[in-house]
Amino acid sequence: MIRKVLVAVIIAIIFLYWYMSRPPTTLTLGIFVNHWDVPQGEPYAVVDEIIKDFEAENPGVKIKYVSGIKKEDYSEWLAEQFLNGAEPDVFLILAEDFNLYASIGALMKLNGFMADDKNFLAEVYYPAAFNFGKYEKIYYALPCESTLTFMFVNKSLLEREGVAIPKNDWTWKDFLEICRKVTRDTDGDGVPDQFGCYDYSWNQAAISNGVKFFRDDGKTSYFADSRMEEAVKFVMELRGVNGGFEVSPKDFDIGRVAFRPFTFAEYRTYKPYPWRIKKYSSFEWDCIKMPAGNSGGNISVMDTLLVGMSERTRDKDLAWALLKKICYDKKIQQLILKKSQALPVRRDVIISAEAEEIFSWESSETPAITPADISDAMDEAIMPFKFKNYNSAMLYADNEIKKIIEGVVPLNNALNKLQKEINALLQY
Amino acid sequence: MQNLFTVAGMYRLLYVYNGIVIFILMAFICSTQIRINNSMTARAFLDTAGAIPQSSSVIFCKIVFAFLSFVLVGCLYRKNKNLRVKYFLFATEIIICMFLMRVLNLSYDGLVLLVIADLMYKYEGQRQEYTLLIAMICLYFIANYNLAIFQTKIISFEAYASYYNASTKAVLLALKNSFYSLNIIIFVFYLVVLLKSKHEEKERIRLLNEKLEEANQRLRAYAIEVAQMAETRERNRLAREIHDTLGHALTGIAAGLDACLMTLEIAPDLTKKQLNKIRDTAKKGITDVRRSVKKLRPDDLERLPFQEALLEMTKDYSASSGMEITVDIFSWSDKLRQDQEDVIYRVLQESITNANRHGHATKVKITIGGNEKYLLILIADNGQGCENVKQGFGLKHMRERLELLHGSIHYWNDSGFIVEAMIPLNWEG
Repeated sequence: MIRKVLVAVIIAIIFLYWYMSRPPTTLTLGIFVNHWDVPQGEPYAVVDEIIKDFEAENPGVKIKYVSGIKKEDYSEWLAEQFLNGAEPDVFLILAEDFNLYASIGALMKLNGFMADDKNFLAEVYYPAAFNFGKYEKIYYALPCESTLTFMFVNKSLLEREGVAIPKNDWTWKDFLEICRKVTRDTDGDGVPDQFGCYDYSWNQAAISNGVKFFRDDGKTSYFADSRMEEAVKFVMELRGVNGGFEVSPKDFDIGRVAFRPFTFAEYRTYKPYPWRIKKYSSFEWDCIKMPAGNSGGNISVMDTLLVGMSERTRDKDLAWALLKKICYDKKIQQLILKKSQALPVRRDVIISAEAEEIFSWESSETPAITPADISDAMDEAIMPFKFKNYNSAMLYADNEIKKIIEGVVPLNNALNKLQKEINALLQY
Repeated sequence: MQNLFTVAGMYRLLYVYNGIVIFILMAFICSTQIRINNSMTARAFLDTAGAIPQSSSVIFCKIVFAFLSFVLVGCLYRKNKNLRVKYFLFATEIIICMFLMRVLNLSYDGLVLLVIADLMYKYEGQRQEYTLLIAMICLYFIANYNLAIFQTKIISFEAYASYYNASTKAVLLALKNSFYSLNIIIFVFYLVVLLKSKHEEKERIRLLNEKLEEANQRLRAYAIEVAQMAETRERNRLAREIHDTLGHALTGIAAGLDACLMTLEIAPDLTKKQLNKIRDTAKKGITDVRRSVKKLRPDDLERLPFQEALLEMTKDYSASSGMEITVDIFSWSDKLRQDQEDVIYRVLQESITNANRHGHATKVKITIGGNEKYLLILIADNGQGCENVKQGFGLKHMRERLELLHGSIHYWNDSGFIVEAMIPLNWEG
């Protein structure tokens, strides 16, 4: 009797195990649109191509995705899927969600897959992109596309003022000089109506001066760094050039500002037709690298879109194959170059002939920035921080530093104080 | 209610209670997860949870399946007798217990007590208290180890409770704690009932032992008494034997010599012959005495089948004493025990001797008969009998011997002396 019951139970367990571990015929993909906050023509063009390719390579496998999820809703949507146990097998991860999912073990560790896969070489990626998917020395995600900040240059304005477009290795000194030169009153009403720059923030300055705001684990900050002080002083100086006059986005749109930091996605969106016509049509413009600080370089932050796979995926190998298709496949990376606003993460795609073709928007002019320059910028770029309290810490720092820049608080010892306050904040 | 306070009743209560608590906790976890999803706070919940929860349906299936197997394994464990299978089942029970605790996010560890209750249920013997202690320590470590392994992957009960407002959360936490406390109360009560029942059993065994000891003492006294009785009896028996063998032989010899004295001059040849027979009787008597001393058993009975021995004895006696002895056997039992044979032999011997010595009979008629239940022996002589039968040594011993076999003896005068002896055959003594 007992033996019979035991045998029945064991058979039931084996059946259940078999049933649960059958290879799936459907993989789900979690995506959202509007990654880089710029208008997109065909948001699903790349994804559809990926699916078409993958389904052709793996007969019998279907890939599903839920369309229409916006970036701002994606975080909650993904969390709900996890709570329902119905998370996608492979999905995009927002930078602010990455640490959470990696720490709670929701993401599959990729080190083993990368080591076992002979066709996978981590060297094809830019380090700042590849390492972005790392949490506590373990890789949980692969980069899919990146974007980084460049300096938008109003070519028409500089030409009018008789200033040459700065080279890609320009410095704060050059930047400040040009700003001083172009800031003036053009219509003679006593108020300056042409400016050097708009929206150049203290943290962009600090990053190009080699400042690292936080320790990697996000428990300590380095705001009292002397390079930070240099950056704040530089921003104050730059602000002083405007003579206390606030530059508005409208000034920039109508072509009265020489420089503005611009993400590559914006560059990609507004440079070619049709957006070119819609915005900034009254002047010629281009992009170059960010100016280098005294102790830094032409460095900016590179934001990378990560793709990971679920820890609970039923077919790990298939999910890895799909992940590789999205993030590693050269054809798909080239498609990203062609169809997406962001940059592919493979170095060989960035410096390919195709990229050259795409980046020279108009045959009539030589672009200020070449694929090689972009590749350099991506190599030098640093990763954004993504620890839990990053956003609140930065918000606090921004408030305090703005007060310093605006002269409300004297600089003297303010950065030391700020560092202590932020450190206290980071302990929670 | 009366049933509840038995060990089995409390045990069942412990199981039912834990089952209810587990299902309540499961319902709480599942419904909270569904509420969280419906209220669009999943991302915030994940932040506080620190682990990925399983979906409600998976939790439900796992809990139902695991708890049913837990009950089944517990049941098998209690019923099984094979030690190896029992160890296996107990290990399985611990694994299922860990699994259940894991699925419930370690929010309820009362199940460990259930496992200990199972262990206690089976606990017996003296040295097993060490085993029990070790097992309990191990279970404690397993529970903690469980905690250590899964700590990073566990969503605390507080995380779920935090979804609700402060007052509801307080009520929920209090409820959860009271679930655990009540479980401990039931468990302790179970232990008390278990110990009480074990104590009662021990008391019962103690009482039984006392009774046994008393009986043993009585038995010992009785044994001494019996030994003394046996000694007395043996002495009597020895006296009887001497009387029977030596007396018989000497009476025969005396009677034979009397006859010889009378025939000595008339027929010297006959007398010579007679004397030879008397010598034989004397020799036989000597042998008998030797026998008696050695084994207290008649020689004829040793040598010959019983019936033949009887006939031999009568023939010898008649030859030596000149008495005419006839033996008629109507029925006979083949299953006579040795003591019965001995008694029959002695009764006949004594009766013949008596007939010769006291009755001066010339003829003795022996009739043996009866049925499957008893054997009847009738010895009738043509002697003078006696008016007032005075129970002599011989008759008394015959009665004693027969009474030992639950038999009886009667004697009366009727143109001679008649002895009737009855021996039951089926009496197993």
